[in-house]
Amino acid sequence: MNKKTYIIVIQLVLGLAVFGAPINIITTTTDLASIASDIAGDLAVVESIASGHEDPHDLTARPSFITKASKADLWIRVGLELEVGWEPAVLRDSRNRGIQVGTSGHLDVSEKIAPLDVPTGQFSRADGDIHPSGNPHYWVDPLNGRIIAKSIAVRLIQLYPEHKDKIQGNLKAFEQKLDTKMFGTKLLSKVSGARLWWLSENGQLDDYLAKNNLTPDPDSWYAWMMPYKNAKIATYHRSWIYLLKRFNLKLAGEIEPKPGVPPSARHLTKISRNFKESGVKVILQEPFYNTKAAKKVSQACGATVVVKANCTNGADGIDDYITMLDSVLAGLRDALARK
Amino acid sequence: MKKFLGACCVLVLSALPMFADEISSAELLKQIQSLQQQMTQMKQDYDAKITTLNGRIAELENAGKAEAAKATAETKPATADSVSPETKAATVSQVDTLDDSFSDDDLYSKMNNRLGNIIPKLNQQGVQLGISSIIDTNFHHDTAKDGIGEMKGGIAGFGHHHHEGDDGHHHHHHGDKNGFNLRHIELGLTADVDPYFRGWTTLAFEDGEGTEIEEAVIQTTNLPYGLTLGAGKFMSGIGRINRQHSHTWDFMDTPLVYEKLLGGHGLRGKGIQLTWKAPTPFYLLFGAEIANGDNELFANHIGGDHLPDHDDPRLYTGFVKFSPELGDRHALQMGLSYARARHQSLHEHDHGGVLEIEALDGYNTLYGADVVYKYAGYGEKGEGDIILQGEYFFRDSDMRNHEEHESFSNRQDGYYIQALYGIAPRWRAGVRWEQVGLVNHVENHEDGDRDLGSSNRATAMIDWKLSEFSMLRLQVGRHNYAMAGGREHAWEFGIQLQISLGSHPAHDF
Repeated sequence: MNKKTYIIVIQLVLGLAVFGAPINIITTTTDLASIASDIAGDLAVVESIASGHEDPHDLTARPSFITKASKADLWIRVGLELEVGWEPAVLRDSRNRGIQVGTSGHLDVSEKIAPLDVPTGQFSRADGDIHPSGNPHYWVDPLNGRIIAKSIAVRLIQLYPEHKDKIQGNLKAFEQKLDTKMFGTKLLSKVSGARLWWLSENGQLDDYLAKNNLTPDPDSWYAWMMPYKNAKIATYHRSWIYLLKRFNLKLAGEIEPKPGVPPSARHLTKISRNFKESGVKVILQEPFYNTKAAKKVSQACGATVVVKANCTNGADGIDDYITMLDSVLAGLRDALARK
Repeated sequence: MKKFLGACCVLVLSALPMFADEISSAELLKQIQSLQQQMTQMKQDYDAKITTLNGRIAELENAGKAEAAKATAETKPATADSVSPETKAATVSQVDTLDDSFSDDDLYSKMNNRLGNIIPKLNQQGVQLGISSIIDTNFHHDTAKDGIGEMKGGIAGFGHHHHEGDDGHHHHHHGDKNGFNLRHIELGLTADVDPYFRGWTTLAFEDGEGTEIEEAVIQTTNLPYGLTLGAGKFMSGIGRINRQHSHTWDFMDTPLVYEKLLGGHGLRGKGIQLTWKAPTPFYLLFGAEIANGDNELFANHIGGDHLPDHDDPRLYTGFVKFSPELGDRHALQMGLSYARARHQSLHEHDHGGVLEIEALDGYNTLYGADVVYKYAGYGEKGEGDIILQGEYFFRDSDMRNHEEHESFSNRQDGYYIQALYGIAPRWRAGVRWEQVGLVNHVENHEDGDRDLGSSNRATAMIDWKLSEFSMLRLQVGRHNYAMAGGREHAWEFGIQLQISLGSHPAHDF
């Protein structure tokens, strides 16, 4: 063994960061990993703790998570207590002082997100799996994805100011990619993406487009959903509210009687009746929940069951954040068009 | 609005039966449909007008305020609270034109401004004290003559000792009695202390037995090179179940090998622990501990009239854990453990009314190996998950009769293997097989070297985690023990209900 290989072996064994080594970013979920790798580009190696197949709330802390966490330069989490069942143990056992809560190596991207479902007044665990800081499934709203990207870019620039231009360029590219998917290039050539998002956020986008005689490109997410404004959608878990709000769809209710509580046969009968009366068109749920209940309800109320991953890598071919959204929205569009 | 009311009147009137008599039903239907269309149109117009009006009102009201807020935002860009909802309405109406001065930064800062009023300040980790309590209750029935606790105590070669240790703690039989049992109430407190330490305590309140400190640990958080130093009273890192609190066990009871070699509480005590997580691409942890010996079966101190006094600490341990990378769904961890302690025991023999005291002094050495494999299934809430786990311990006890210098040496071992499977969301079924005394060599000057034979137990359980905070468990066990007077059998049945109050727990592997 020559000296060079010896050094490499030492480096491998000790796992030490050598000069010029890429930034190690560990995210709790696959969507954060997808966005983070778009923002960091070739500056970083990005890995996710969750695989995308499972409910990120129900992960068990494994030794491999600890290994990943201990080598991280930046740890990114969804927050709002999504990871509360395992993240504290992983961070503690990683012994990585740079990524503990409150350090610059720990980024909670929920900090810049306006949460929905923040409980007000009296609440207790008798209400099921409650999240006192708000509903944590916010990444399924593409505007929140844009804000996540911005938060990651800001933190990376703070940590690595020497890469500022590159990171900003990557952010711009991500924003453009997302905006194009949402509104289409033609509309974006007339109005900035930022303005369109802001109008959408304030519920004024449709009026604005009508007033100025504009339309989103036919193959954009916004155009897909526009004909189905206020269509009634039911979901299994209360995990799609951000997406429904963004696309002006109405949440008719959940199959779960309370968050995290499985439905009884009696409850299913009751909601089937309710859904039928209120004209629910689609029941949307993630693949990691059993579809038995949704199928039963759909047979009784005539709605279409749409099973879509809400996480990158949650199903075959769902390789990144934008593809995930694309697949969910295409699924909704097709199911709504069936009526 | 007048037009809207008028339309309503017409609709109501046209629906009246006397009018219906005069016009055909098809015409009526047509009329109603056109009226409905008119109404929808009017409602849309009306909504649009209101939206515009609201915008204008907000604009007028906040023309001045917006300027002020802009100034504040410039001086304190990060303070979201400084922007009131009214100014937000104003900024909304301002963008109602086609000019393209609205940038990405505007979007992000405006979105950020919305947060102040919504987000509760919950980023208090390190300030918040995590408080949790476990209530663990069960119904137990067994067919053992004097109760299963007494029967376990009589397993040949693993006899118990009716003595008080130097801490005055009298050993009581573990194991539940027939009927309803309230096992200890556990109260846990945990918090980050400062930039250097974290700490936690676990107190166990036993009905009629007083309070016991299960753990009181001060641990460093800021040592370099993957080192962590702990002090206080802690559960030793040897083995796997040893450092688990009873509420995290997969069965109602602790494995026999622990109970017989280390006692019902496992190996724990006051001392210091140093662990090092190696910076390897796989999980590798080394640990060493020095502790007072507070364990009645493994590291006891009696002293007094019959035995010499030894200073603490008398217990030394070392362990290593290794976990290879196996991908997303598989996790495997293996461990090796070693412990050695100065140990004393005092036996009283009744020789025809004459009480003979056998006072022993020497060393106990423990070797252990543990393995756990977990598979994460494709189902919801644990459905399809698999856990396979096993531990083996070998204890070498090298004791001498203190006054007569006669050798008493025991070599004994035991193991358990268990398998659990997630049969449905939140439901698990599990089986466990255990043996103690595969090696059960007991050697003393009177009886020479004997092998006292092995004892075993087979257990099956099914548990249902109703939520993350409550669990119901059913367990059946079959005991088959080598006792002093021959083999004895017993059945055991239990229903356990366990709840946790307070903080959401973060589970270890």
